[in-house]
Amino acid sequence: MTAVRTVDADVRAFASTPAEFFGHSWYAMHHVPVDELRHLQLSALRMRFAELRDAIPVLTTMADESAISAIESLDDVVPLLFQHSVYKSYPISLLVKNKFTALTRWLDRLTTADLRNVDVSGCDSIDSWLEILDTETDLRVMHTSGTSGIMSFLPRSTSEWDQMYAALRCGLFQFSDPLGAGGRHDNEYFNLIWPLYRHGRSAIMRMPEMGLTHLLGSEDRLHALRPGRMSSDAMFLAGRLRAAQARGELDQLEINPALRARRADFEREQREMADSMPRFLDHVVEDLRGERVWLLATWNVLYSIAKAGLDKGLTNVFSTESLVTTGGGAKGAVIPDDWQDTVKTFMGVEQIQRSYVMSEITAMNKMCEHGRYHFEPWIIPFVLDPGDGRVLPREGEQTGRAAVFDLMPESYWGGFITGDEVTASFEECRCGRTTAHLAPTIERFSEKQGGDDKITCLASEEAHRAALDFLSERLT
Amino acid sequence: MTGLLDTRLPEVVVPAVIRGELVSHDLVAFGGRGGSAHFRTPDPNRIVDRLALRDPGRLRDVQQLKFDEIIAYLEELGRHLLLDTNPHLQEALDHSTQWSDMTTPLVRSSFEQLPALFTPDAVHELADATIGIPYLEGWVPRPMADGRTASIRAMGARTVHVIAGNSPLIAALSIIRNAVARSDAVIKTPSNDPLTALAIARTMADVAPGHPITRHLSVAYWKGGDTEVEAKLYQPRYVEKIIAWGGFASVTHVLRYVQPGLELISLDPKRSATIIGPQAFESAHTVADVARRLATDIGALNQLGCVNARVVYVASGTDDAGLDRLGALGEAVYQQLQRLPESVSTKAKWFDPELRASLDALRASPEFYRVIGGRDGEGAIIVSQLDEPVEFQRSLSGRVANLVPVDDPVDAVPSVNSSTQTIGIYPESLKDSLRDVLGLHGAQRLVSLGYAADPNVALPQDAIEPMRRMVKWIVDERCIPDENQRSTP
Repeated sequence: MTAVRTVDADVRAFASTPAEFFGHSWYAMHHVPVDELRHLQLSALRMRFAELRDAIPVLTTMADESAISAIESLDDVVPLLFQHSVYKSYPISLLVKNKFTALTRWLDRLTTADLRNVDVSGCDSIDSWLEILDTETDLRVMHTSGTSGIMSFLPRSTSEWDQMYAALRCGLFQFSDPLGAGGRHDNEYFNLIWPLYRHGRSAIMRMPEMGLTHLLGSEDRLHALRPGRMSSDAMFLAGRLRAAQARGELDQLEINPALRARRADFEREQREMADSMPRFLDHVVEDLRGERVWLLATWNVLYSIAKAGLDKGLTNVFSTESLVTTGGGAKGAVIPDDWQDTVKTFMGVEQIQRSYVMSEITAMNKMCEHGRYHFEPWIIPFVLDPGDGRVLPREGEQTGRAAVFDLMPESYWGGFITGDEVTASFEECRCGRTTAHLAPTIERFSEKQGGDDKITCLASEEAHRAALDFLSERLT
Repeated sequence: MTGLLDTRLPEVVVPAVIRGELVSHDLVAFGGRGGSAHFRTPDPNRIVDRLALRDPGRLRDVQQLKFDEIIAYLEELGRHLLLDTNPHLQEALDHSTQWSDMTTPLVRSSFEQLPALFTPDAVHELADATIGIPYLEGWVPRPMADGRTASIRAMGARTVHVIAGNSPLIAALSIIRNAVARSDAVIKTPSNDPLTALAIARTMADVAPGHPITRHLSVAYWKGGDTEVEAKLYQPRYVEKIIAWGGFASVTHVLRYVQPGLELISLDPKRSATIIGPQAFESAHTVADVARRLATDIGALNQLGCVNARVVYVASGTDDAGLDRLGALGEAVYQQLQRLPESVSTKAKWFDPELRASLDALRASPEFYRVIGGRDGEGAIIVSQLDEPVEFQRSLSGRVANLVPVDDPVDAVPSVNSSTQTIGIYPESLKDSLRDVLGLHGAQRLVSLGYAADPNVALPQDAIEPMRRMVKWIVDERCIPDENQRSTP
């Protein structure tokens, strides 16, 4: 039935459909012999470069300028990694002034998809723009949260989303099937507790739509706080208002008139969402008691849900096979020492799955039992010198700016440079996994500049960030 | 070279000077993280009690000085602030490599400018323009309409100066202001320049030990926001005025101590802008002139100051021809930036990697942005193709500016607000026509293009007159019933 697979086919399967390639086993993904993994990664990288070099205009320009025509080693791709800010390198007025045709032209340069014939001239909001792209193209563009006042847009296609969630499913059994003995875990699903809207187009809110079949099996297992859709415009507006307020420039903020008209709706929706949270939690506890659930949230959301439950005397509410996943840092807040115990006691789980995630890549890089974040095998990590951007040796332990090449995408360029400072090890982890791994402390460069007690008369972005923190402290 | 070693081992000792006396015992280590200074300095908790001037009556000695004596003192001090012969300044220059954001040639040229601030002409102008020498010298009578005679005097106060460290001139200016105001000052130094104020204070102790002006200056370092130290010092019974420069953090630290009797003079963090009229494009000569002036405003002090040009609105027009004009100006400015002498500007000591990333990202959007240079940390010009600045405009540094095309110079006005300090303008006629509206929007200093980074310290600063607020305005009212038009109760 199966033809003899060529090596090329192996490489493509590894990169494009890793879940299948690894037999749907997260264990297998992380136990490929080091040399073999390196060979697979290099071969897949060369394949992606060959296919995309002349198909993505921004990449073509970069490759032309740096005169790179072939990839001989992993490090050769470093000059071609995109800055993460590439995905927000459009002028903000395109959103404010409804210049969606120009915005589409900008996006077209970042994908193999042909957007030239998509008519978005009638769009008067981010929602309507993304709606047209959803319906008329194979892309399901996702955006970032926009908390800094601007949103990144990343053009990911339906098949890439599909493979991303197929692969993500494998990691859901990290604790319940640590050795990957259970294969595909057919018909084994979780009930997703989703304290958000059912629909949305941010990186995280695309999940119920794009990952449902792999993660939940059916709509019945999705327990969303609110039906309907989280408006991308509402998120954009909230981020803009917050940033402008912190800068003391609220009065100068130019707001799209269509958005201004919807502002009251946004505020009402936000109120309703907050109001319905306690009732939602009551329902979840009532309906899903003893069931296998999956709860995915930042530590502070997990903590407040658990605290509310414990205050009502609820402990060990769900099945021990349940999964709690968290990612993201403290964002400057002080994390209470007991947060993990609080969550475990309420949920009834023994462990919390921690992951290093970013919107721009298809992998959720999970922490092992030795406290190290392991990159999924289709992610090639790099550590760059924070000063000059040169790549540091792929050996031993290296501290610097994290960069990655995500081998899964075939319609956009998977290489990009993050804003995170990491300490990565390229040696085998004590846990036995063969993939590269990170120390648990990860900081954003943008949050650590300035040093100690340096005073200047200049109103910098740093001062603005301090003002943002100050504001949010006062508002919460 | 030793500087590099010292960043690992805090062998550098930054003493304190308390009223002319050098203090270098009970040392504790500071800094060393995030590229900041690493040094040992007297434990601030042990010296804070001596920093406070408990008895305000002890200001009498400076109060009794004649203005000419102050002039003479500062003149003599200025003569000793020559880098070639002053060991304290030499030491400050040596160590600046490890903690200043400026490069050594720039610190050197800043130090070379110090003596000029202390000349009799400069001090006289500062005193006369900001307060008026008669008010500093004694009681100035003024007959009032109601018949009384008021006598007004500007008297010294007990102050703390929380200074910024992006230019050594700030330390010198603070010391001169304190002497002219006949006040008592504690200078809290910043970690990016812990030595300039100290070097001047040590020179004062060498040149005029025991002089009242020497004895009313203390210089110390503690970490800004150290509540243990600050709560002890920042009390109305010890300090009447705190002059706080710069950063959001340094101002918010101080805010919690403000109460009746303790005034905050806040020199807030600022940014500056530039507006260039269509006249720039009248001829090849004007383009070259504007390019040279603009490059100076961008590059001077390595763009570390709040006065430097960053976002530059240019009335080039926003059509294709206008964008071509703007692009050509951008090229010319970039070329001029590279030609600035090293006493004015050098390649940045540290080029912000986040900014480098943002520049690289813009190269992906040629329809909206042209990026000239910037690959080597040497500075860059971003030429917007739409009439809006880049999203990361507040992070422009290391000699990176953003030229923004507008159809009319007036289009730049809405971007001006109360944090806009300086606006460099070309030509003069445009300044005349815009100055009222710019002032209303919050702009604080309008200056001919090319002179943004060359402020005159005798003029108002940040839309206030700090000198007038640093002194106490005391009134003596002579009210004799018969002479008063109104009857007294």
